Amino acid sequence: MSATPPLVRESAVRRLAYRVLVTAVRGRRERGGDWGEAVLAEFGETRGDWEAVRWAAGGLRAVWRELPRPIGITYRAIGLVVVSVVAGLLINQFVLTVGYVPSGSMEPTQQIGDRYLLDKVSYRLTGIHRGDLVVIVDPVGGGGDVPANPRVKRVIGLPGDTIECRDGQVWRNGKQLEEPYLANGVDDTRTDCTTVKVPSNELYLLGDHRLVSQDSRQSGPFSEALVQGRVLTRVWPFRR
Amino acid sequence: MPRLSHTSPQTLRLFEALLADPVRWRYGYDLSKETALASGTLYPILMRLTEQQLLETGWEPSEEPGRPPRHIYRLTEDGAALARQRLSARAVSRPSTRRIEGLA
Repeated sequence: MSATPPLVRESAVRRLAYRVLVTAVRGRRERGGDWGEAVLAEFGETRGDWEAVRWAAGGLRAVWRELPRPIGITYRAIGLVVVSVVAGLLINQFVLTVGYVPSGSMEPTQQIGDRYLLDKVSYRLTGIHRGDLVVIVDPVGGGGDVPANPRVKRVIGLPGDTIECRDGQVWRNGKQLEEPYLANGVDDTRTDCTTVKVPSNELYLLGDHRLVSQDSRQSGPFSEALVQGRVLTRVWPFRR
Repeated sequence: MPRLSHTSPQTLRLFEALLADPVRWRYGYDLSKETALASGTLYPILMRLTEQQLLETGWEPSEEPGRPPRHIYRLTEDGAALARQRLSARAVSRPSTRRIEGLA
């Protein structure tokens, strides 16, 4: 009987399968886990290349199952990250998102480049109020094939309100509006419009920067269906 | 409702093989041959049974020099009792093959 290790004269395929299994079981250690070693010890019993490969491949499963606890926790952590990312994407799409201010039509309330938090759900429950900032996507606003940008506007009139302008001031239902959010300076705040009674399911929207804003003064009231959400607060920059 | 443990066809096959001679120590490779279970199926079952003290394990020094000791297995008393119970439960439920064991 020879004392030569039996694997020396094995085929290349068997040697490779054995090497892979040893590496998986032991890594850099002298001895692997009990179950990995158990599978390894039986390797010499297998006959032929195919059986050896199948034995080694199955052994990897045993090794995997035998791995210490932290790996299991890592596994759970990966799952948690995946679930969080998916949940985050869904929330971003349907509940809460961050919007970007592309134009100066809401100055001085919003400056170009500001980021704001947009609530896409709760306004459906609580309704839209006068003075709210809403984001609309106007399908004609983009012009032709260009997709329309979301635009932030202030709600001036709800369905049933009569909006008119006298001497550059906005009047709602016969009362002059106080508009503290407008910039100081006659040029920027002067508002001229044609009198309109807001139909049901529509909103009369104006930008705070009356000189440059394109809003209900030109296109009339907007359908409530165009509203994407209500602006909650500015998130960037933190302070002004 | 929780599924009854140790009722998979693979586990039952292993029980059959181990119960053939309950006091004899068995090798993993031989059990794999006898049950036609791949090592990747067989060893996780062996590990599970051992964790639950249904199987006892040991190391047997190889007769051939240069060979590592071999891991050996046999059912504990609890294991043998459970194995018999599961196999007879299967024998009862077999006529209605559609029924899932343990859910009755």
